[in-house]
Amino acid sequence: MNEWLAGILAIAGTIIVYVVALKVYQRFHYPFTLPVLTGMITIISFLILTGISYDTYMIGGRWIEHLLGPAVVGLAFPLYNQRKMLKKYFSSIITGVLAGAFAGVLSGYYFSLWAHLEEMVIASILPKSVTTPIAMDIAFMIDGLPPLTAVLVMVAGIGGAVLAPYIYKWFRIEHVLARGVGAGSASHGIGTAKAIENSEMEGAASSVAMTLSAVVVSMLIPLMTKLVF
Amino acid sequence: MIRIGAHILILYAFYYVGMWLQNLLNIVMPGSIIGMLLLLALLFMRVIRPQWIGTGAQLLIAHMPLLFLPVTVGVISYLHVFKGKGLWIIVVTLLSTVAVMTVSGWTVQIMARRRGQHE
Repeated sequence: MNEWLAGILAIAGTIIVYVVALKVYQRFHYPFTLPVLTGMITIISFLILTGISYDTYMIGGRWIEHLLGPAVVGLAFPLYNQRKMLKKYFSSIITGVLAGAFAGVLSGYYFSLWAHLEEMVIASILPKSVTTPIAMDIAFMIDGLPPLTAVLVMVAGIGGAVLAPYIYKWFRIEHVLARGVGAGSASHGIGTAKAIENSEMEGAASSVAMTLSAVVVSMLIPLMTKLVF
Repeated sequence: MIRIGAHILILYAFYYVGMWLQNLLNIVMPGSIIGMLLLLALLFMRVIRPQWIGTGAQLLIAHMPLLFLPVTVGVISYLHVFKGKGLWIIVVTLLSTVAVMTVSGWTVQIMARRRGQHE
């Protein structure tokens, strides 16, 4: 197929899937109708049924993906708007991020042992909570499999965003900042996209948590693998 | 429309500067996050006004789930992980994700409530 046509079709198709997924989500507002999840399943099913390869899809998909860069840069805007609140609660937020980072690395390691997973797989699981490029770098550093890590980052992102309403309810996490930090620490950008849907303050807390946790986790994991595991 | 375009162009500029800095200094942070921190610093220093980027930033942020779609579809190359023994990897990842969200959320909630009461 013509490259240009393939690209335009992929872009148009992705946007249509997203708009429909969003409409469905607005009409049937459940955690499992989250557009990232339903949209992903729809596109994957379509590609499998038609036999179109991911690389062909990405001729167009890449252009949409490319806008993620400026979107993440744009998170500076809600952060700036919420600066007073963030400054006031900064020590709470950073402590929460640190606690979350430890919980993530320890639970990732011990749950893996309990499930009898191989060392290489464990090393790929540990960095799952942070944004993809950093997670892949960490996986590479500790002899994991970076492509597997990239998939698990998506699982942590989408899984966290879908499960968040249940987690908040079951574990009684009601404070806006606590919810934001939880989403950002556990589910990076995808969690932040979900948090900002609830309120600007929750989104700002999530952005801060996502950024801090990327820094903390990238230092914590090499340290822990050397000293503890 | 033109205003939104201009806003996004400014955000793109920060993204590229972020990626350039990442390459130059060999930092393990993605260029986008470096760009965000840079933009935040310039907003604080009042070099950049919030209204120069606000509408564009809000539009992109509101539709971030769309921007994530192509990346998440990449899972298609690893569907075998979601079958058989590989399913344990997914279970462990999800359980650990719940642990992170709960522990960080609880910590912030306890500390922030204590803080709020002192005022």
